Amino acid sequence: MATIEALYIFDEHNNLILNNVYTGRPPPPSTLLPLYLQQPSPRPSLTYITSTSPPTLLFSIIQDNLLFLSPSSSDTEPLLVLEFLHRVADALEEFLGSPLLASRITASYDVVAQVVAEMADAGIVCQGEANVLRDVVETGPGVLDNILGKVGLPGSSPGLGATPSSAGILQRPQQQALSSQGSAIPWRRSNVRHTSNELYVDIVESLSVTLAPSGRPLAAFANGSIVFTSKVSGIPDLNLNLSTGGKGAGMGNRGDQLRSIMERVVFHPCVRLNRWKSDGAISFVPPDGRFALCGYEADLLGPGSPLTTDQRSAPKLDLPAHIEMSTGLGAAGNEFEVRLTLPSSTRSAAVASLQSSLGNSSRPGAFRSTSGTENKGPAVEELTVRIPIPPNTRNFSDIRPTKGEAHWSLVDSCVEWKIPSKEVATISSAGAVLRCAVQGPVSDEDDEAQDDTATNGMTATTYDYDDDAPSSYQAQSSAPASRSNGAGETTGRARVDKNRDLMPTAAMLSFSVKGWLASGLKVESLLVDTKKSKGLGAEVKPYKGVKYLTVSKDRIEARC
Amino acid sequence: MESISRISGLLETARDLTLEAAKDVGPRRPTRPLPTQQIKKLLDSRNEREVLDGLRRVIAMQYANPPQPTLTFFPAVLKTLSNPYPSTRPLVYNYLLHHAEADPDTTLLSINTIQKSLSDSNPRVRAMALKTMAGIRVPMISQLVSLAIKKGVSDLSPIVRKAAALACVKCVTLDANTRPQVEEYLAKLLEDQQYYVAGAAVQAFAEICPDRIDLIHPVYRKLCKMVVDMDEWGQLAILRLFPTYARKCFPMRKKRVKKAATREQKAQDFYEDLEPKEEREEDFDEVEVLDPDLELLLDSVQPLLHSRNSAVIVSVARMYLYLSPSEHLPHAIGPLVALLRSPKDIQEVALYNIVQVCLAKPAHFLPYIRHFLIRTSEAPQTWRLKLEVLTLLFPHCDKSMQDLILAELEHFSRGHNSDLVRESVRAIGRCSQASDAKTSRRCLSLLLKQIHSSDSVLVGEAMEVVRHMIQRSPDEHRKTVVRLAKNLDSLNSPMARASIIWLVGEFSGADPQNNIAADVLRILVRGYADETDEVRAQIVLLAAKVYLHDLNAKNVKKTALEALNSPSQEKQPESQVLSPPPEEGGFGEEHQQETPEAPEEEDTIALLYQHTMLLARYTSSYDLRDRARVYRALLALPSSTELASLLLLAPKPVPQAPSPSESHKGYALGSASLVIGSAAGVNGLRGYEPLPDWVATGEEPNAALRDAGGSGKTESYEPQKAVSAGQMLDAALEADPGYKSNGRKAKTLDDWLDDEEEEEETESESGDEETDEEEEEEDEEESEYETDEEEESEEQESESEGDEEAGLVR
Repeated sequence: MATIEALYIFDEHNNLILNNVYTGRPPPPSTLLPLYLQQPSPRPSLTYITSTSPPTLLFSIIQDNLLFLSPSSSDTEPLLVLEFLHRVADALEEFLGSPLLASRITASYDVVAQVVAEMADAGIVCQGEANVLRDVVETGPGVLDNILGKVGLPGSSPGLGATPSSAGILQRPQQQALSSQGSAIPWRRSNVRHTSNELYVDIVESLSVTLAPSGRPLAAFANGSIVFTSKVSGIPDLNLNLSTGGKGAGMGNRGDQLRSIMERVVFHPCVRLNRWKSDGAISFVPPDGRFALCGYEADLLGPGSPLTTDQRSAPKLDLPAHIEMSTGLGAAGNEFEVRLTLPSSTRSAAVASLQSSLGNSSRPGAFRSTSGTENKGPAVEELTVRIPIPPNTRNFSDIRPTKGEAHWSLVDSCVEWKIPSKEVATISSAGAVLRCAVQGPVSDEDDEAQDDTATNGMTATTYDYDDDAPSSYQAQSSAPASRSNGAGETTGRARVDKNRDLMPTAAMLSFSVKGWLASGLKVESLLVDTKKSKGLGAEVKPYKGVKYLTVSKDRIEARC
Repeated sequence: MESISRISGLLETARDLTLEAAKDVGPRRPTRPLPTQQIKKLLDSRNEREVLDGLRRVIAMQYANPPQPTLTFFPAVLKTLSNPYPSTRPLVYNYLLHHAEADPDTTLLSINTIQKSLSDSNPRVRAMALKTMAGIRVPMISQLVSLAIKKGVSDLSPIVRKAAALACVKCVTLDANTRPQVEEYLAKLLEDQQYYVAGAAVQAFAEICPDRIDLIHPVYRKLCKMVVDMDEWGQLAILRLFPTYARKCFPMRKKRVKKAATREQKAQDFYEDLEPKEEREEDFDEVEVLDPDLELLLDSVQPLLHSRNSAVIVSVARMYLYLSPSEHLPHAIGPLVALLRSPKDIQEVALYNIVQVCLAKPAHFLPYIRHFLIRTSEAPQTWRLKLEVLTLLFPHCDKSMQDLILAELEHFSRGHNSDLVRESVRAIGRCSQASDAKTSRRCLSLLLKQIHSSDSVLVGEAMEVVRHMIQRSPDEHRKTVVRLAKNLDSLNSPMARASIIWLVGEFSGADPQNNIAADVLRILVRGYADETDEVRAQIVLLAAKVYLHDLNAKNVKKTALEALNSPSQEKQPESQVLSPPPEEGGFGEEHQQETPEAPEEEDTIALLYQHTMLLARYTSSYDLRDRARVYRALLALPSSTELASLLLLAPKPVPQAPSPSESHKGYALGSASLVIGSAAGVNGLRGYEPLPDWVATGEEPNAALRDAGGSGKTESYEPQKAVSAGQMLDAALEADPGYKSNGRKAKTLDDWLDDEEEEEETESESGDEETDEEEEEEDEEESEYETDEEEESEEQESESEGDEEAGLVR
């Protein structure tokens, strides 16, 4: 069984905004929503609800703050349903614009209803390509014009799509007949016309790094996606050539080198796998508009690097920002410190990568504007450090950043330290430091200790600590000798022990760097194969643009 | 692969306000609700824009929350169906499908017009009409739907054929009696040369009649070759259907391979060893031999591992795992691991599947171990599964990797999330369970370090795991118990203290000369008043055990003395006294080797016991007092300790901590039952079907079915294409008994519809020819479409001719 029974969409306040039943008699959204919300957050993507009759499997995704739910009364492949929900979100975004807003859905139910109905026929998923839906979904005159900024859509907007040379009266039926045949390419809508032809390649890498307390990287991956935007008339046939930027040299031909960097590649169905396998070129006929061409993964430590604990042989990791963390500082051991450094070496590399250019462009200036950065090199932006704080922390007596601002958020139980972009440049080679002093929960021992800043106390939350019997055991074991000498030392050490419970165990770094890729990949060329392409005049030279972006969203984690 | 909307979220961090602004500036769509009368007026208008506006309002009302009643518009909406505007049609159809059940009579009025559209010149219109007609939930029209599908099956346009394939499912749901006809249509659609038609046909087949594998035989090889080009959903249907087909049609053959003592062979043995089921029973010399047809299937799905769709990748992995675990499965491991970079929801489900593969073939995942390191920000579902993968991989790693895993687990056992702490400590326990003695010791020392932590959750859990480890191999761990007993001085956690005292009690019979049990008891009794009840209960139990061992020892001595005095006497009573069963771990033997102890000490133990009992007697907990009373009664007579030995010194079952997912091991990869686990019940969720066993050799369908059918039928398919729809309709009328028997009603309705249909068709024919000519002029640019369209127009003509003939005949 692989049927989608229904699709329910809720907005951020959990109000129902779309209820589309495909087949059968699924439980209504009003029943399912409270049962879903009962689950503790973060809620799993698949839950089994036994209180309905028959018991229901409930699939859920959250996209752009909208909650997509789909119930199923029998065993259905979970990934099939989840992928379908993602595709629905993609398709709605294609038609309604990004980001997907609840108000946009409620304002154009006619389009939404068609999109949703076309994607699954009586529950059987039959169309996942948002672009092809353009052939089928009637948006009526004038709906998409304002959203798409008059890109030149055929079909619904007469006059824009048809060639001006054809006889004016017959435009409409002829156009219909063309599109009605269905596109020869299952992912591209038929009869694409654009007044300005443009091609954009955006490569986004999302870093995921784990650093051991010693600073040695345990794992470092860059999860890359190549997003392609094609606004070209006819049926273009494109060749995208990437280069490794010098990495993996001496490893056979270019395809091998590329494959050693881009591991575990997945492609949009339009990509010809044979070409990738033979010479590492990505050859494809793109869908119209923006789509994800390819996803890959680059191991920044190099494949098969040793996992030894020996620090000297630790692989060098080339990141635009580094953090180190030390805890248990100060007299009472209740302080911790995060040091953020920006190694300068990456900047030069980044400049080099920015200067990559694409051949065959009629207007080289087009890159500059799309890449969005000046020649001075890419800067680290949106620098944020988040430090999750143990829940039994009572307060912070001190939060001192040398740059930027830091505050403690009780709701997320973390300290967030933000450095605005303009202050990033002023960070010296020694780096910026955040120092915090923690206060633990109130306990009786605070009074005994008579210590002003230092926090103290066996955590009353952890276990019953009513008698002094266990503490006498502890005192015996930890410092039997010092008992006679001075109680101060004992309590001091005990306090350090206790404060260890309040110390965070990790810090997470977020940033984004434009114009630089962690894997070192570069777009070497993007060529339109004029022989294989159709409907694109030989004299037409599309604009080409390339954009690199490396981001880390709490994904660089330093432990301590 | 990340969905495009997620990546665009990254790319457009400062989200375009310009777009929003543009939307506000642009022509705003009226959102103000209009009164019913006014909407009706709009619908009745002759102006396309107004009609469209009216329909949009109706649809918006229908989808609004709470939904507003829109049934009153039914007649008005149906009327608009006669308008020639293409823009309104989808909306009307949508409305129709929504309300068909509520008002079947009015719905029937529209059937006529929809049927006309079935012969429209535009294939999209035909497909949409077919789709809508099949979707109307009025059982009365099932025969009409069946006929419409029949017509659609032989349509020239693949779009219509695809719609026909999907309509098959709806037709069967509408009326189960149509199943035999529908299966015929499906057989034909499965042979379709157009891959997306075949894909849809497989999807429908999987829904309607997945057991009729006889329909698959002739197209098996063709589908294998086409699977790469199908859309993802067709691929999924094939990947779901074909493992079952393969299990039913290809018996598992084994070939004897002479044993080679190469390293490779050894490695294979190593892997095979871990495999739970079938492989294990087989001799290692045997290697699975793949049927060429099965190999074709397995090879042809391999490119799908580059798919962006996670469901496809898991399905391929499922096929490899269950059909060819040794040869093909390694290809699927990398792509499976790559699913970890997908969005959270998919990642979570993918991890369940990874764990499942990992249970069967852990060694394949070794190169990817770094992907399973846990991140602090992860959701509990994710880290739980990652921990499980790490522990499953642990026994197969080399030392440096094991260090890494242990360091990882240690780090998280010191965290602040108590669930994570508990799970990491348990994971350390599982690691030690699965590995050799040396590593096990390392795990143990790691856990012993944790005991001093001030985090009671951690200490309690660590103690629990340590106890399990000691119980599993008691002989090796005598020293460990002594070490643990030392910790009693400093330990605070009552749970951990109780655990240690219990362990000391368990070992109180071993090695009597150096036994610490009595000493531990002596120290503990001193602080009895300050302990919690949990610990006190264990102290009392310890006292009882120590005393019992002491009594046993004395009895042995006594009987030994008696035996010495009268050697003729049999040793009967002795063996009864020393009743502890042999599994107890050698307690009995040691008792016999015991040497006489100093009398003062014996007295001390008795005194100590009496003292403890006295303490227990005045404890406030009545449970404890009751226990003490039981022990006292049991040990009242120093000469008869049999019952007490049975009760107190009974061998304890060895605790096992299997990997948490071990319990869902039976569920097939990729199923929802696998994710839900034990809540799904013994046989999985409703609709869950396990893979069948391999068919026995000799019982499989003849392989010739696949070649004969494959080539023969595709040839005969071509001429069939030229048969016009009208002729087929006639043939169906004569041949199909189901149709005639279905009674008057359907027939009369059909007749009535046929008349109008013919009129319509002659009209459209003349119109078609004009447009066709125009198209041919225009076709110079778009050479791609040329051939199709010419065929199309020819077909159109022959079809209408056919219809005219049909009319004449009638």
